[in-house]
Amino acid sequence: MQSTCRSIRRLSAFVLALVAASAAATAAEIPSEHLEFFEKQVRPLLAEHCYECHSTQAKSLKGGLRLDSRDAVLKGGDSGEAVVPQKPDESNLIQAIRWQGSEMPPTGKLPADKIAVLERWVELGAPWPDEPDQPAPAVAKTYDWPALRAGHWAWRPVVRPPLPPVAAAKWSRNEIDRFVLARLEAAGLHPSPPAEPATLIRRLYFDLTGLPPTPEEVKAFVSVAGKSRSGSSKSAEAAYAAVVERLLESPAYGERWGRYWLDVARYSEGYGGFVDSAALPNAWRYRDWVVAAINADMPYDEFVRYQLAGDSIDKQHAVATGFLALGPTYIADGGVEEAIALAKLETIDDRVDTVTRGLMGMTVSCARCHDHRFDPYPQADYYSLAGVFNNTKNEEIPLASPEEVKAYQDYQKKIKALDSESSKLRGIVRKENRDLTKEESARVAELKKQIADLKRDAPEKYPVLHAVADSGSSDMPLAIRGNPLRHGPVSPRRFLKIVAGDEPPLFTRGSGRLDLADAIVDPKNPLTARVIVNRVWQHHFGFGLVRTASNFGTLGEQPSHPELLDWLASKFVGRKQGDFAWSLKRLHRAIVLSATYRMSSAPSDEALAIDGDNRLLWRMNPRRLDVEAWRDSLLAATGELDSTVGGPSVSDIAKSNRRTLYAAISRNGDKFDSDTFLRLFDFPVPRATSEGRTSSIVPQQSLFMMNSPFMIARAKAMAERVAKDAKHDKARIDRAYWLLYGRAATDEERQLGVAFLGAQAATDSELSRWQQYAQVLLSASEMMYIN
Amino acid sequence: MASGTHKCPGMQMFHRDPSPIISRRHALGRIGAGFGTLGLAAMLADERAGGATNVASSPLAPRPTHFPVKAKHVIQLFMPGGPSQVDTFDYKPMIAKHAGERPAEVDRRSLRNTKNGLFPSPFGFKQYGKSGKWVSDIFSHVGECVDDICFIHSMHTDIPEHAGAMLMMNVGHLQPNRPSMGAWLVYGLGSESENLPGFVAMSPRAQPRGGMANWGNSFLPGAYAGCYVNIAEMKPESVMRDLQNQFVSASDQTQQVDLLRKLNRLHADREHHDPGLESRLSAMEMAFRMQASVPEAFDISGETQATLDMYGDSEYAKGCLLARRLVERGVRVVQVSLSIDGYDIAWDTGHNDIAGGHAKLAQACDQGIAALIKDLKQRGLFDETLIVWGGEFGRAPTSEGAKGRDHDHYGYTTWLAGGGVKGGFSYGATDQFGLSAVENRVHVHDLHATILHLMGLDHEKLTYRYSGRDFRLTDVHGRVIHDIVA
Repeated sequence: MQSTCRSIRRLSAFVLALVAASAAATAAEIPSEHLEFFEKQVRPLLAEHCYECHSTQAKSLKGGLRLDSRDAVLKGGDSGEAVVPQKPDESNLIQAIRWQGSEMPPTGKLPADKIAVLERWVELGAPWPDEPDQPAPAVAKTYDWPALRAGHWAWRPVVRPPLPPVAAAKWSRNEIDRFVLARLEAAGLHPSPPAEPATLIRRLYFDLTGLPPTPEEVKAFVSVAGKSRSGSSKSAEAAYAAVVERLLESPAYGERWGRYWLDVARYSEGYGGFVDSAALPNAWRYRDWVVAAINADMPYDEFVRYQLAGDSIDKQHAVATGFLALGPTYIADGGVEEAIALAKLETIDDRVDTVTRGLMGMTVSCARCHDHRFDPYPQADYYSLAGVFNNTKNEEIPLASPEEVKAYQDYQKKIKALDSESSKLRGIVRKENRDLTKEESARVAELKKQIADLKRDAPEKYPVLHAVADSGSSDMPLAIRGNPLRHGPVSPRRFLKIVAGDEPPLFTRGSGRLDLADAIVDPKNPLTARVIVNRVWQHHFGFGLVRTASNFGTLGEQPSHPELLDWLASKFVGRKQGDFAWSLKRLHRAIVLSATYRMSSAPSDEALAIDGDNRLLWRMNPRRLDVEAWRDSLLAATGELDSTVGGPSVSDIAKSNRRTLYAAISRNGDKFDSDTFLRLFDFPVPRATSEGRTSSIVPQQSLFMMNSPFMIARAKAMAERVAKDAKHDKARIDRAYWLLYGRAATDEERQLGVAFLGAQAATDSELSRWQQYAQVLLSASEMMYIN
Repeated sequence: MASGTHKCPGMQMFHRDPSPIISRRHALGRIGAGFGTLGLAAMLADERAGGATNVASSPLAPRPTHFPVKAKHVIQLFMPGGPSQVDTFDYKPMIAKHAGERPAEVDRRSLRNTKNGLFPSPFGFKQYGKSGKWVSDIFSHVGECVDDICFIHSMHTDIPEHAGAMLMMNVGHLQPNRPSMGAWLVYGLGSESENLPGFVAMSPRAQPRGGMANWGNSFLPGAYAGCYVNIAEMKPESVMRDLQNQFVSASDQTQQVDLLRKLNRLHADREHHDPGLESRLSAMEMAFRMQASVPEAFDISGETQATLDMYGDSEYAKGCLLARRLVERGVRVVQVSLSIDGYDIAWDTGHNDIAGGHAKLAQACDQGIAALIKDLKQRGLFDETLIVWGGEFGRAPTSEGAKGRDHDHYGYTTWLAGGGVKGGFSYGATDQFGLSAVENRVHVHDLHATILHLMGLDHEKLTYRYSGRDFRLTDVHGRVIHDIVA
């Protein structure tokens, strides 16, 4: 029942000032009438109004404060001591019951006579009989670090495991298969047969590029691979490997896998609503950097370092720090001190959360208000990381000549000066409770006109990079219960103890971002490599080996194949011959060349009975396409896809033929027409790092397929394309099936098509019968699922 | 698992799937310990049949509750900007007696830190109904309904800024990264309508500041998002996107849907798996029906003249009438936000001019609100519909400038009516001048807990696992105000 993990809310709650403790009278010197006053009037009052929350009996102790012993009262709670003997006005307790600043009891103010009793009690020096203090209800948490590191799989060092023995060794194509097969055999399961070549090639295309193969590409592959169903022939294997290489080299690969990264990076172009409303019109430059880095197979450790500290490594890569800068940057909409401090801490929290959960599967941001309840992330460790971002500011790096920048800024300065004159005038009037004088009104009108003129003539804002820069190098005090105005001990900037040792070295370079990045990609960090190889696995199989891809803590799921996960992680960071040296492409290659990846997705009753969730990987998981791959494949099938790579975002993607990756995205999902389309199909709200998509089925999706101009346009294009490609209905139907689903139509499907096309379109339908038919094929389930 | 209290991250040892709509696990999370009522076997079978796509029943299917249900629908009459309590429903004659003074009781910091004295309400107050409730003349129509209303005079909230306070009111949190109350309710209860969205948000012209945050689903699945409708432009296309088709006739579309159904079934049979086929088919059929049912629900031309007259012709009144029509058709939650002159925090004109601004705003909504209460009663819907009226905070009894009032988050009034609350009842009190809630204080979290309770949900058990944490509408707070429950 205890109240835990509160985000800050009672901003005005208990008083903030810390007052030096004054000497307290001991019980021996207390006059007996004072003790009597205490017993008769004070203790019952405290018991009646305070002990529910502030005593050892409290179900949930509030504010860390007990009022049931003298020592506890003097020691106080989160806000410092409750009572300064003899000084009611300086005592937090008295201020609180007077409702000055905070409001106690929260259910209603005490009547004046009861307040007077407590004031009097404090004036008397807070007399209390000599009685032992009860044991404190909560002891400070201690951590046995070596035991903790050994106690949970994710915090143990990654050690490359030996290959397990298997009975049917012939099945395996590479080491991955050995680990999978060992578990299947132990459970009495068999791997599914290989997928049909046409199915496999379609799967591979979607996985590596997010686009379907053309009918010609399918047919070419099937003509080689189809001859040897067992897949053992050398030419079939070579053909498959060649397709893998070609796809990994295609720019579409970076577009596909870059988008997966943008989910983790909670990428958006700003517009977060009124508390983080800034627009980020140049965000696409970060998106393009990500796509280019992935296409170039930039080693993952470098990829991470640039995104956290590119500004201090190589100015060329400052754009990569958009990873931090594009997150929500909160502002307070009034001048309230608490709200300003809170906005700052919320912003820092976004950075801590994205970095720890996104890169390491650690829910460190749960330790913002208190030590993490389940994982060994002390609150002090949170502020060790928060301190790094407390010394980091957003910075716009101009992509224009100094003259252009100056010209723009000169205008803005003038506008600002006039603006402030105008609001100053209004402020004076309000303060003096009067209306504007004639002269003042004239001046206000004049200012308004000048501002409008300047705004009209001002040059457009020059292009920039949304990046970050250091703003200091100081350590940050812990915020008691997450309240930024209640300072606890200072937490030195350094890495998490569970990973970096009981006394991690201090971060010394600037804000510490580069130190942080180095600690994250240290090959000895057991989490970073495990998390990224698991994410890659997740996108190839539909589920990760760890199904909670952003939570590897004790409340996350256990890996289904811990040895396989460690084998992949150790290969990934290894630099010896045959290791991946942080190369994502090598990792993909190992996965898609495995026999595991190439299994059929067809279910078997026997296997379903043993392992219905397919945790042991006895088959490939059938998957629903995400919105990007689905929409892109519609455009690819109709021949309309514009495969231009990069550039500014498209505000209404449904009116464009660009890949869905290029849709403009706002943080709240309500700014652009693109947002509306994307959200219809489970695009995540980019407010926080995302570990995977949900896949909901709602009627609005069907409305989109039935009625949207986007689908109507595709239907027209599809009908036109097959009319060009083939002569009569049956051949056209076949062509459509090949283009859309990569296969020929079955007899039954063909008959259904012929029957539909045989009828006349209604006179009030603008779409021809063929266009109507094409729309149905484009809307079918098969467009959305791959095997 | 039985303890449904919020933990960080959750105690409940089951986890979020990457790609469910409503998996069994969510269903369990949703109802806490209520296994028996769930039809667990059926959902398990669905989940497995769904394979990787993991699709179970429709996300909007009605679901069992934790408690007996007092109310089935919520109509939130949201008053963005902060209506002043002492000029509407919290009658404080002491202000006039001490006009211009600044007694210690009201000497508290406000947003703009105004230091002026007490400022009497420019409006007259009269007693109404059997309960003899004092109500301001600007709400005379609502005054006629006081015996059906439960006033909470002791509301308080965390900060006196619109952004945070509006979010606190509508999502239970100071930042916009949480689901709205309406989304939580539809998640918890499903919808009773086969062919309308579960949650509809409306306002005339301007959306309340913060827009979608006020009715969004945040990390809840998309099916729970409020569907926003601008009352001022009631074209079907503005009610819901892609509702109409100018390219294909209805008869042709019927044939298209028929063919699509057959092809999808063939696909599912051939692949030996059923990726939510039934859900897809029912979603498709619902979409087909929505093309007619949504425009019908929003079309008030069939209402009698007597009904139209009762509501009056303000835009907000139209929203109230639509709210009744939607509730009648099974929509779970309707939010109608007030705005006039395109202002997104309408009641904030109170900074400068209470007499003019508040009178105009009340004029825009008073009759429609009263008509809604009467209309629901006439139709037997009042007892199952909970009406919630109020803003994100109130306004101070002292003046700002010559004739305005600054924000007041220390104390303000919200009222409830209908499903499960006591009528002709007032709960809690502010001090003698109306600034701070002093008796039976009710925080917004407590209001949320109580609304959920009336709808049959335990606010501590209605959780959703996201990012390794079990979230609740009330976070770690909230207590049900049982004293107002009838």
